[in-house]
Amino acid sequence: MIWSKNETLPRLELEKLQSARLKETVARVYGVVPFYQKKFKELGIIPTDIKSIKDIAKLPFTKKQDLRDNYPFGMFAVNQDAVVRIHSSSGTTGKPTVVGYTKSDMDVWNEVMARVFTMSGVNSEDTVHNTYGYGLFTGGLGVHNGAETVGATVVPSSGGFTSRQLLLMKDFNSTVLTSTPSFALHMAETAKKEGYDVKKDFKLKCGIFGAEPTSEGLKEEVSRIWGIDYFEIYGLSEIIGPGVSNSCCESRDLHIFEDHFYPEIVDHKTGEVLPYGEKGELVITSLTKQALPVIRYRTGDITSLDLTPCKCGRTHVRMKSIMGRVDDMLIVNGVNVFPSQVEHILSNIAGITLNYQIIADKKGYLDSLEIMVEVTEEMPMDSIGGLEKIKKNIQSALLNNLYINAKIKLVEPRSIERSMGKAIRVIDKRSL
Amino acid sequence: MYTIKQLSVFIENKTGELNDFTNVLSKNEISIKSILLADSTDFGLVRTIVDNPEKAKAILEDNGFSVRFTNVFGVKIDDVVGSFDKVVTALSKNNINIQYTYSFYESDIGIFIFNVEKDKFNEAVKSLLDANLEVVSASHFYK
Repeated sequence: MIWSKNETLPRLELEKLQSARLKETVARVYGVVPFYQKKFKELGIIPTDIKSIKDIAKLPFTKKQDLRDNYPFGMFAVNQDAVVRIHSSSGTTGKPTVVGYTKSDMDVWNEVMARVFTMSGVNSEDTVHNTYGYGLFTGGLGVHNGAETVGATVVPSSGGFTSRQLLLMKDFNSTVLTSTPSFALHMAETAKKEGYDVKKDFKLKCGIFGAEPTSEGLKEEVSRIWGIDYFEIYGLSEIIGPGVSNSCCESRDLHIFEDHFYPEIVDHKTGEVLPYGEKGELVITSLTKQALPVIRYRTGDITSLDLTPCKCGRTHVRMKSIMGRVDDMLIVNGVNVFPSQVEHILSNIAGITLNYQIIADKKGYLDSLEIMVEVTEEMPMDSIGGLEKIKKNIQSALLNNLYINAKIKLVEPRSIERSMGKAIRVIDKRSL
Repeated sequence: MYTIKQLSVFIENKTGELNDFTNVLSKNEISIKSILLADSTDFGLVRTIVDNPEKAKAILEDNGFSVRFTNVFGVKIDDVVGSFDKVVTALSKNNINIQYTYSFYESDIGIFIFNVEKDKFNEAVKSLLDANLEVVSASHFYK
């Protein structure tokens, strides 16, 4: 089943639609967003220089930092009265990245998420067990609204409480699981421990998984343990949230909803546009967003695009599952973390050094994060209670500001590994 | 004269850590007069009184330990029932909060080491002297 006829538009017609929408977006941001007007002027371009989607490379890039610099609403293209929803993610300097939605943006979001569910074979007869986090993150509510749009029954269980989740999933006869792949494996492991027969006790037929980079091996494991079809979803809050692309039943690659989000692959060092098939940084331009349109947004995700026709009938270009990041961003249980954010948090805590090391690892199927901090004489060195308090302070600051749960370990001075005199800040023991 | 410079040393809870610490001291001919190990789940604190605190601190730091001086005082007591009670009573009467204490023995007398809040140090010593208790002079430990 295909939700929208826009998903099967012949390429030429799709390009026409993209061109019209791009021109409208460019004219609008130039008129109302000072940030873009300034950027355009610096490059010596005006909106009428953009005659079709093929001219997109003339436009300036937008980076995550630009959103932070214009915190909270500086990049918004509408007044507050038109905004119906705000979401946000954590930021480096304590200031989060804020995104907003108008009524029509919500309609687009629901529409693309409905496409995702339809693409995964989900309809009104299904019950969707949604473990993506509800709240400021786009994951929970984005998936929720899409499932409702196709008429499915949604169980908004959010994250955590694995035992209870399993009970509900069984008793409600849920047929679809939406979660991070690692949480899906964690649930299966817990289910086995608690004596469930994973394939018999649950009625799941498929899962829509995303929010973290995943190897083919891990996908197969999720699929095999639960005995379900694996669909992969991709998205980011700056573009809309979940629902930028999704894999179909014919292909592991993800169709990007190109009538709303225009993708390019660029060389992340030079910014030069690379042809289809080449690996590089994914750049996306929103073509219909009203509250927060973004021009050529640098996602930081590395992938490649494939325009060959898909057996499913959709004409939208497919992207490979994300292969990595251009920066040092870590994804821990679906939450994005930059080492610089951790450093900033540490720098605000009295009595500790900035000799630290972040160690990402797997505990069972879930990610674990340990932060080692070297002690100094300035710390309350004669008091166990004082040192424990510092540990607690670091832990709660990380949880409150970055939404991550980290284990803090105080270590002796100079015990953190150094390479050529420079401390190694991040060790990622998880292998993709 | 009553201020004893106790060394507080951070060590991780892993095999061989304490041994590294004792090795450094013994190689440099520093004598440990008293030692107390306090531990939490993944780190420990060594509190020790040595015969040459300045030298010990410098050597330990050269060997990568994080060391801090903490001022403590010692009180001599006889090995009879009620003698420790006398000491604690003297401090408690004067509203002095004991942060920690530990003891060791020299032949037939015991010495209790006390740590109190910094600004109460002198007052604590005075209240003990007033109660006719014997506060140990720091030079008792030093070379």
